[in-house]
Amino acid sequence: MTVRMRFPAGGTVPVADLLAPDEAEPLTVGDPRVVDFLAGVSGRLLAPALARRHPELGSLGFFLRRRELLRAVERLRGTLAPDTLAFPRGRVFHVPPANVDTIFVYSWALSALAGNANVVRVSPRSAAAADAVLEVLNAGLAEADPVVARTQLMVTYGHDDAVTARLSAACDLRVIWGGDRAVQDLRRHPLAPAARDLTFPDRSSFAVLSVSGWAAASPHRRREVAIAFANDAYWFDQAACASPRTVFLVGPAEPAERVRAEFVALLDAAVRERGWDVDAAMAVEKRVGAYGLAADGGVRRMEFHRNALATLELTDVAATPRHWLGAGTFPFVTVPDLAELVPFVRRRDQTLTHFGFARDDLVELARRLGGRGVDRIVPFGAALTFAPVWDGHDLLREFVRLVTVTD
Amino acid sequence: MLTDVFTLTQPEKEKRLRDELTALVAHHRRACPPYARILDALGARDDAAALADLPWLPVRLFKTRALVSVPEDQVIRVLTSSGTTGEVSRIHLDREAAATQSRMLARTLATVLGPRRLPMLVVDRAGVVGDRRSYSARGAGALGMVNFGRDHLWLLDADDRPDIDALRTFLDRHGGEPFLIFGFTFMVWTYLYEVARAHGLDLSQGILVHSGGWKKLADRAVDNAEFRRRLGADTGLTRIHNFYGMVEQIGTVFLEGPEGGSLYCPDFADVIIRDPVTWREAPVGTPGLIEVLSTLPTSYPGHVLLTEDLGVVHGVDDGHWPGKRFSVLGRLPRAEARGCSDTYQGGTA
Repeated sequence: MTVRMRFPAGGTVPVADLLAPDEAEPLTVGDPRVVDFLAGVSGRLLAPALARRHPELGSLGFFLRRRELLRAVERLRGTLAPDTLAFPRGRVFHVPPANVDTIFVYSWALSALAGNANVVRVSPRSAAAADAVLEVLNAGLAEADPVVARTQLMVTYGHDDAVTARLSAACDLRVIWGGDRAVQDLRRHPLAPAARDLTFPDRSSFAVLSVSGWAAASPHRRREVAIAFANDAYWFDQAACASPRTVFLVGPAEPAERVRAEFVALLDAAVRERGWDVDAAMAVEKRVGAYGLAADGGVRRMEFHRNALATLELTDVAATPRHWLGAGTFPFVTVPDLAELVPFVRRRDQTLTHFGFARDDLVELARRLGGRGVDRIVPFGAALTFAPVWDGHDLLREFVRLVTVTD
Repeated sequence: MLTDVFTLTQPEKEKRLRDELTALVAHHRRACPPYARILDALGARDDAAALADLPWLPVRLFKTRALVSVPEDQVIRVLTSSGTTGEVSRIHLDREAAATQSRMLARTLATVLGPRRLPMLVVDRAGVVGDRRSYSARGAGALGMVNFGRDHLWLLDADDRPDIDALRTFLDRHGGEPFLIFGFTFMVWTYLYEVARAHGLDLSQGILVHSGGWKKLADRAVDNAEFRRRLGADTGLTRIHNFYGMVEQIGTVFLEGPEGGSLYCPDFADVIIRDPVTWREAPVGTPGLIEVLSTLPTSYPGHVLLTEDLGVVHGVDDGHWPGKRFSVLGRLPRAEARGCSDTYQGGTA
């Protein structure tokens, strides 16, 4: 029962070594030794050479800036009553997804900021950006307090149930990314009685586009909006939990037709300009997805403009799919107003990206949804921006334990 | 070599197939509502000027949706493909479609096997046929084929080891007259070729029919030409026919001609190579995705299918048999997306 050490970089070690207690100077919430280390990592991630090679590391670098970290700790403290003290939970076991290279860092960094000892399973299938991050983390160790290397561990192992079981039994909190299947898979391994899971199951996300908001926007603004939407959709092959898939056009049907045509044309131009394309395998995948949806009914028309872009006109909101149809496949539905979405929304719906609405309309929609679904309502272009509140959880809050003192 | 299914020149075939397949499009559109909804959403018309204009379905759709064109009580057999990812195609046959597919397969193979049943060597183990109600790809291939032979020898024992003594006995008895050899390409190479060469066995009267692709042999640098050359040189086996077919178009096989190297389309079937960017028909010599067309699928809309195999047409009406000559070049990799979820399966919400 061994694992390969990725951080601190090293050879193969027995799992038991990961679980050795660390008695010396335990970490605290917002521990300066962790803040210093993360801020150093931020600087390295924002180095132009690296950010050019892996643009997604740039957003991670911004997320880890000292100011952001301190603000997150302050925000946490601000939510606590005067009689409440926050402490680290203890040991946190993170199981991030293989396909999003940087999630493991966000999840881990907030937990480290909360003062926890962490064990992160880095998938053996992880991609180049993950390796780049690990390199940066290891490079930062030289200047870091030794407590960082003792308490913050990232490991890689294959599908070894024994390792997973051992780490699960020994943690106070288990963080499972990677969708329903990963959650179900991991849940076979029991936790200690006082421990619990923080899970990130399969999610679906949508976009809402106001017909009147579009009409009011300048041609320049419309182009910007299409580019922002293209970034949201294409960055993770439209397969991230927050990637918008279906676009709800909100407004009267007749102008909505024209808005759709113009939006699709601008989207096409934006995708072309970025040079994004899909390969033959993805092109076939998209046909399988779109034809399958059409077979089920509710697709009035489907159009394959080119491999990178397919659009489907749905007959009504109920026909909206929640599964992935392949990169660059956009169902469109026209609804008269935002309230039409209320009965449709479910628990698994995560992000609603918006353009052209007044803030009050969006808040009103959130109130009507009442937390039954949709955890984030963000403007076009911000779908994939990771935030410390994710999937309805205030992560830093999840990573601490509260003690109350009443006199 | 006598044949009654490799007879039509390409212009003759296109005219005939266009009419028959156009009629099938209309038939399936009437009989299979999910198929009709797909065609409606595509805006597909009922008539097509050319074969390449007929609407196609991605073959994997049979793994994600039930597509049937006959009432449930008329389905007498459901074929399933093997799938490495756990997804399987489900192909529904009624009595007529089942009879037609086996008859047309027989006529196609009779072209190279002759009209009589030959003694048959199966490069597999008897167990693969197993349960007749649930055919694996290996089992279905073997089961469909066993009917074309007699006095069968299953070469492999339960542990997939070739039984040399039984093979010697079979060859002593039947090796002096034409006999049929059937197997998956890599198994023929691994279990028959290497064994026959090692033991100096004479396979010169054999007629080999094989399929399955070259992927597993690629690391041994064995392609079709090398396969034929070495079998001929080392075992005397020269009558070798590769074939290409799939459970989603059961009964239709594209058969390698006696000269080797090219697959031919029987009169009731054709292939179109599509450019995977423009989706238009690729010219002769240009590789693309293989679309297979066949008039046999009447009980399910499998008459025009886009496969995930890459191929190339070498020539038209210029080979041993009339029509298109083509090769299969390999398989398209499965699309993989980045994303939060570790697994993606089409059609699962």
